[in-house]
Amino acid sequence: MATAANSLIHATADHLISHAPFDQMEREHVLWMAQRLELGYYAKGEVVLSPEQGTADKFYVIKQGVVQGEQGVVRAQEDAAWLELHEGECFPLGALLSKRPVTSIYRARDDVFCYELAAEDFLQLTHLSAAFHDFCTRRIANLLEQSKHIIQAQYSHSSAEQQSMSSPLSAIIRREPVTCSPATPVREVLETMHALGIGSMVATDAGNRPVGIFTLHDVLNRVALAQLDLSLPISSVMSSNLKTLPPQALAYEAALEMAKHGFRHVLVTHNGGLAGIISEKDLFTLQRVGLRQISSAIRNADNLDALKQSARDIRQLAHNMMAQGVAPEQLTQFISTLNDLLTARIIELECTAAGLMDSSLCHAGFCWIALGSEGRFEQTLNTDQDNGIIFLAPDGTSPDQVRQTLLPIARRINEALDACGFPLCTGNIMASNPELCLSLEEWKEKFAKWIDHGDPLALLNATIFFDFRALFGLSSLAEKLRLWLAKHVEGNPRFLHQMAANALRNRPPLGLVRDFSVGEDNTLDLKLNGISPFVDAARIFSLATGGLQTGTLQRLRQAAAPLHLPPREAEAWGEAFLFIQLLRLRLHHEQIEAGLPMSNKVNPDQLNNLDRRILKEAFRQARKLQARLALNYNL
Amino acid sequence: MNWLSRFFPARPRLTPAQAQRLAAWQALPAADLQLAHAQSRYVVVDVETSGLNLAKDHLIAIGAVAVRAGKINLADSLEIVLQQKQASNRDNILIHGIGGTAQEEGVQPVEALLLFLAYLGKSPLIAFHVEFDESMIRRALKRKIGLDFKHPWVDLAYIAPALYPDLARRYRALDDWTNCFGIGNYARHNALADALSTAELFLALRDRMAKKTIESYKKLQDLDKAQRWVNRIS
Repeated sequence: MATAANSLIHATADHLISHAPFDQMEREHVLWMAQRLELGYYAKGEVVLSPEQGTADKFYVIKQGVVQGEQGVVRAQEDAAWLELHEGECFPLGALLSKRPVTSIYRARDDVFCYELAAEDFLQLTHLSAAFHDFCTRRIANLLEQSKHIIQAQYSHSSAEQQSMSSPLSAIIRREPVTCSPATPVREVLETMHALGIGSMVATDAGNRPVGIFTLHDVLNRVALAQLDLSLPISSVMSSNLKTLPPQALAYEAALEMAKHGFRHVLVTHNGGLAGIISEKDLFTLQRVGLRQISSAIRNADNLDALKQSARDIRQLAHNMMAQGVAPEQLTQFISTLNDLLTARIIELECTAAGLMDSSLCHAGFCWIALGSEGRFEQTLNTDQDNGIIFLAPDGTSPDQVRQTLLPIARRINEALDACGFPLCTGNIMASNPELCLSLEEWKEKFAKWIDHGDPLALLNATIFFDFRALFGLSSLAEKLRLWLAKHVEGNPRFLHQMAANALRNRPPLGLVRDFSVGEDNTLDLKLNGISPFVDAARIFSLATGGLQTGTLQRLRQAAAPLHLPPREAEAWGEAFLFIQLLRLRLHHEQIEAGLPMSNKVNPDQLNNLDRRILKEAFRQARKLQARLALNYNL
Repeated sequence: MNWLSRFFPARPRLTPAQAQRLAAWQALPAADLQLAHAQSRYVVVDVETSGLNLAKDHLIAIGAVAVRAGKINLADSLEIVLQQKQASNRDNILIHGIGGTAQEEGVQPVEALLLFLAYLGKSPLIAFHVEFDESMIRRALKRKIGLDFKHPWVDLAYIAPALYPDLARRYRALDDWTNCFGIGNYARHNALADALSTAELFLALRDRMAKKTIESYKKLQDLDKAQRWVNRIS
């Protein structure tokens, strides 16, 4: 039946190749597929595929239009559309691979044209094309892999600037060099340096060849102490002993030259002409930003300024790691680890300053706890602080007395954290709040009240406070509270039911009209709409099964077996969650780079095609997770 | 060429093998036009020519795609460029994009037309603005292989307004109707690409056809005829 590939077959292959996974396949295989395709039309509202049609016998790729999937059984009317498929997307995969009927109804939302491939051809294609096979069996994992490549490509340019001492100098040069002629009066040079805030000035001849350099260090002994006449030309005070390197020389060569000759600046020249200046400071920046360097810098820091620099370095490291394609799970772990270290050092310094380190209170014990996202090890770059204190009152003192001692110290710690880029919590969920600086017994009382009442505020509090973990001090206090909480919640199914109902009010923003339902400003909130459904469901699953973990991934993994969640689904939820986290990290980083205030709002139209698709897939997973939650609690 | 040969064109000369292929096509049983769409094969066709003059211009390319049981079968498609003694002029080339060399390297006209017939079989034809495609194909078949081509045709330029009378005043050209259903075209004025768009339009009209119980080719022909009558009196 197959004729030689004519323009129609080639045009069809071209169309397919503009979408994943066909873009990864060899053209020969895409042509093979195109020659076996039929093109079908579905009018608005028409069913394309449904469970009633029996074993799935065709593979559909949307040529034009939108197909929506309805989960017939779980929820019938409201929120019926749980997935939306657009041009280039394909379905079903699971049903075809396992030769069963589909579980959803696929319906045309407008005029839809689908390429259709018979099931036997589909299966043959999975044997022919490794790329296609890979896609069908590892759908979301595969999309993520592709996204990673794109991210790496995007970041490779900017990250080369900070990568390491093996970067070429051309990648380190920060800006165009500022130059003057050797005849320029000293006064004018000093004024220019002051106005531009630069540390050095290079004098060049008419051919842009450097003839001398004058730096701030020279001001002191050659100008100020020598009481130099400022109208003299700069050539009278500049150093003409210059060290130059070509742009392709590596950063460490520049470092060696500086060390050897005691210079603070190296000039980069290209064909004799000045291309840039590298200062000692530029090179120092390169070395500082590494995991080991940052952690040892934090451990040795003895004042707030040093810690502030470390906080900036943590952000820089996060950027470099994103560039290297480090998986979001490890990335957030690194950030959490370093932020923990930083926070612990701040607490340590403040407690020492307050003379607390060797007091009776310290011996009885207190524990600084992280709450909210910090408690879950899921901090991004714009997390404000959520923290509290658990203490044991030493014999003969009342909790109130202990609080009086601890609160001012906690206040200073909160402020120091703020100075390091963890803004004060607007909701005052901080250790310096007397309500959150409590003895172990007081915490139990507080939690018990929330669990027994289950009013809206209690439910909201539970989402923040029940993710607590020890960060500094006597961690056994936090562990005791955790064990007590696990037991207490298990005996209160009503409370979990309320939490589940509450969590289900926050629906993933999959739109009926467009890909996503966005707010008035055309944006999605990646935290509220993206992360929360996963975090909330994982918390409930964990509490329901007596889990002690606080991380969302760990909670899902732990709860999978006792709740009989299919392992593949639990894994897909985790991946979806991580992808949204990665998007948030990238967003925050871009905002920092652009000097914008950080937020979680993203305009889906500004994402690349692939990210938009994965985000949609991630939201679909959130829907599935919520459907599971609803099922477990008969909601 | 003297003036007489215009009225008495030389009888086309076919090789015995070619004559046999023509005979085989003629011997095929006619299609049953009463069959439901779901059981039928239709061929949607579009041609590119050296110009718009039905009497003087000639066929340059044929594009066709089959609709079987209501679906377009991509591999069941045909794209032929006919060999020209002399390439068409520049303005014309700019329209269909078949360059002079491609025209001169095309398939021998007799061979091309026999390939077309073999592909077509006796499946009924569908086109947009049938008069043009039909005249061009008919004349070529008459002149080149001496075939008197009497074949069922249905014209979507009449079917579409008949199914959507409310749109009929505003929508006239193929582009109007394809835009209406959001149908694209991978290479406008390429015969096969236009045939595909026309076929997609036919599929998109199927929903209305079902509602008006136009479930066979015969019913389509009746509708086509009725609409022609409406156009004449209105």
